[in-house]
Amino acid sequence: MNKVFKRIGLLLFISVVGIQFIPTTLNESDNVLSTDFIKTYSPPKNIKNLLINSCYDCHSNNTKYPWYNKIQPVSWFIESHIESAKTELNFSEFGNYSTRKKKSKLKSILSQIKNDKMPLPSYILMHKESIFSKSNKLDIEKWLTELEQSTISYE
Amino acid sequence: MKKIILSISIATMILSIACNQTRKNEKMKSTEASEDTHDHSEHDHNTTKTDDHIIEASTIKNPATSEIIDSYLQIKNALVTDNKDDAAKGATALLAAFSNFDMTQLTDSQHKEYMEILETAKEHAEHIIKSPIEHQREHFEALSIDINDLISLVGTDRTLYQDFCPMANGGKGAIWLSEIKDIENPFFGKKMLKCGNMQKQIN
Ligand code: HEC
Repeated sequence: MNKVFKRIGLLLFISVVGIQFIPTTLNESDNVLSTDFIKTYSPPKNIKNLLINSCYDCHSNNTKYPWYNKIQPVSWFIESHIESAKTELNFSEFGNYSTRKKKSKLKSILSQIKNDKMPLPSYILMHKESIFSKSNKLDIEKWLTELEQSTISYE
Repeated sequence: MKKIILSISIATMILSIACNQTRKNEKMKSTEASEDTHDHSEHDHNTTKTDDHIIEASTIKNPATSEIIDSYLQIKNALVTDNKDDAAKGATALLAAFSNFDMTQLTDSQHKEYMEILETAKEHAEHIIKSPIEHQREHFEALSIDINDLISLVGTDRTLYQDFCPMANGGKGAIWLSEIKDIENPFFGKKMLKCGNMQKQIN
């Protein structure tokens, strides 16, 4: 019995060490695209900071990685989140979306923020600074609603 | 033999050009006829004002959108009865309907807008398939705009009603399409079944 446990333990140890050597791809890019949401709509500074601090890590081509991203399987977990987040919404490529898609995404963004669905709970856990305060929420909702109604109209 | 093949292919070419031409003409006529509705659907989806008279809009009589409309209505009716699972089934049917849609019948000018509608409508359907009912309803609001625009773009042979609920979409209002004249609200279901008014009859 004891032997079996030892073997299992050894196997686990080897695999945990082993997976550390599997290379990961980082979601980082040096230049900000011209299609970037903030570049396109130049929000006021407070809104810009809210978006960057709370959303851009997952929904853009540029993630500021935490130190523990160096540890597997954490980085796989983060990588898969970023991948599905970017297919839903990529702020770096927002300018490339059709007008229809922009409108639809703005609607989604607004409702995710309003219903406290975003930023994701697992992210808030490690990034306390990403939580929106009540007044932050009102500010960003107001700005996004104006954008939804004015700037992005059907041509 | 060669001659026969050649003349057949020339004949089909001429025919297909001719067909295209008539389709374009039809489209032009119908945009003239539905100037009013077209304006609203192109520029501002949610604010077709109701002055107590119902706008009758005729579209191109095109049966090609029937399967899409049927699955859209399946989602709508499921949401009216607060049935999340049936809404998901309708959304699965909608994805199938879009992949069955014959895009080769679209003119070049229709094609671009169709592709944009397709992209967002598919996303909404995918979310409706996997989400709880509140979230299904949010995506159904946006999906309704897509289906409405699809109908202005390529037409339908169905009689449909465009309804509007001012309380949906966080108080900003939203439209939906229905096959019946009575108001049955898919955004609130049982909670506010009668909220809304008919804005427009299509066909
Ligand atoms: C930890 C990573 C992460 C952060 C931070 C994050 N998101 Fe997301 N987001 C995701 C993932 C993953 C999905 C797709 C899966 C899902 O719906 O849960 C998503 C989906 C979305 C969607 C589509 C939702 C839908 O179902 O319609 C929107 C809109 C969105 N996020 C907006 C935001 C906004 C706005 C912020 C900042 C306030 C934000 N997200 C922060 C990971 C993140």
